[in-house]
Amino acid sequence: MLNESTLIQKLQNGDSTALSALYDRYSGALYGVLLRMCKNEPMAQDALQETFLKIWRNCGSYDPEKGKFYTWAYRIARNTALNALRNPSKLIQTEDLSVYTNEAEEEAPDIDLIQLNGSLRQLEAHHQKALELVYFQGLTHREAHEEMEVPLGTFKSYIKQALKKLRESYQMALVLGGLLMKWIV
Amino acid sequence: MMEKKEILESGLLEQYLLGELTGSQQEQVAHFVRTDEEVRMAYSKLEADLERMAQENAIAPPPMVKAQLIEELRSEDTATVSMPSRSRSNPWLAVAASIALLLGISSYWLYSKWNSAEENLKLVEQQRTELDQELTELVASYDEVLEWYKAINDPNAIKVVLKGNDLAPKALAVGYVNHETRSVVMDAKGLPALDEDHDYQLWADVDGEMIDMGVIKKGTEMLAMNYIENAESLNITIEPAGGNDHPTVERLISNVYL
Repeated sequence: MLNESTLIQKLQNGDSTALSALYDRYSGALYGVLLRMCKNEPMAQDALQETFLKIWRNCGSYDPEKGKFYTWAYRIARNTALNALRNPSKLIQTEDLSVYTNEAEEEAPDIDLIQLNGSLRQLEAHHQKALELVYFQGLTHREAHEEMEVPLGTFKSYIKQALKKLRESYQMALVLGGLLMKWIV
Repeated sequence: MMEKKEILESGLLEQYLLGELTGSQQEQVAHFVRTDEEVRMAYSKLEADLERMAQENAIAPPPMVKAQLIEELRSEDTATVSMPSRSRSNPWLAVAASIALLLGISSYWLYSKWNSAEENLKLVEQQRTELDQELTELVASYDEVLEWYKAINDPNAIKVVLKGNDLAPKALAVGYVNHETRSVVMDAKGLPALDEDHDYQLWADVDGEMIDMGVIKKGTEMLAMNYIENAESLNITIEPAGGNDHPTVERLISNVYL
């Protein structure tokens, strides 16, 4: 398995197998975000494809010095989904009409998918909500604090505390995992 | 200028992570991320949080999305064969170039063909218009001839031969008088040509009075004249051009009793 910086280099040299490898690595994470933003499977799938096309076309503008590849890709995905949500006509043109007649039936199982998993679930409700709004719903900090009906400063500290707790629980999991491994060995 | 403390504590870094900042704020935070070790560390942690949360909540997209993406890349690849970054020469480039050249040549050839075809079409259209006119004229003259033929061949038509007297010994005109249809037709081609200032005129004698039957138009072979009731004779005189109200008896050239 190639390391990430080699993949990025290959991508920037126009090697489409690198895009394929990066897709395998990140499409699930990005689709998880897109589906929670769009709440509509065809729309999220279109946005995911669009995101990777933009990654392919604009990979020259990614600078590893400025941040991780995932952060860059996440921003593209988020903007793509926000555009699609603002301007859904594009989707209607490309999608079969039958999608919309089935929408009501398809919506039901999506609710489970949209539920957040992992260490996020161990957080207090307001911390979880704050992270969900900005990282999974695509809201800006300003939109999110209005949504939660708390002052912007309070909202920002929610995010800070939530992330801190998330790290703690994650490190705890790592330590426990390490101990478990030792114990097994 | 922003303080490092402000960036670390005010939530600006979190906003920067999401691409929410614009203008100078965005530039200043980016500058600290690049140059300040502490800010850089804090930012890396945020990036790791973002990625970990997403990976923990990952949902596998249906395989068809990747298939469509690959397909899209392939079609884009063939569309942009001239990308300079490709080091190895693409055989499809040569094929595409040949096709383009062929298309260029054939479209020029087609263009010139089209031009000459258009010229030919114009010519044909012009000829057709001329032929149309000729046909119209022919039909008109045929209709006219048919009319004369009918008038002359009518069993009720009485043929009257008007021979010239001493004034015009060579003159010969033929009239066809039809009392049924009340019409008179003249064949005047046997009358000698007159100068511009004179015309032949036909008269009917009714109870000693000469009544105008019409001027014999120059250059016409067959003429329809006025039918006059109870005419006893037909007479031709030479009159000033355009005809006269009363006949110039001195210049009577022909007289035939019916």
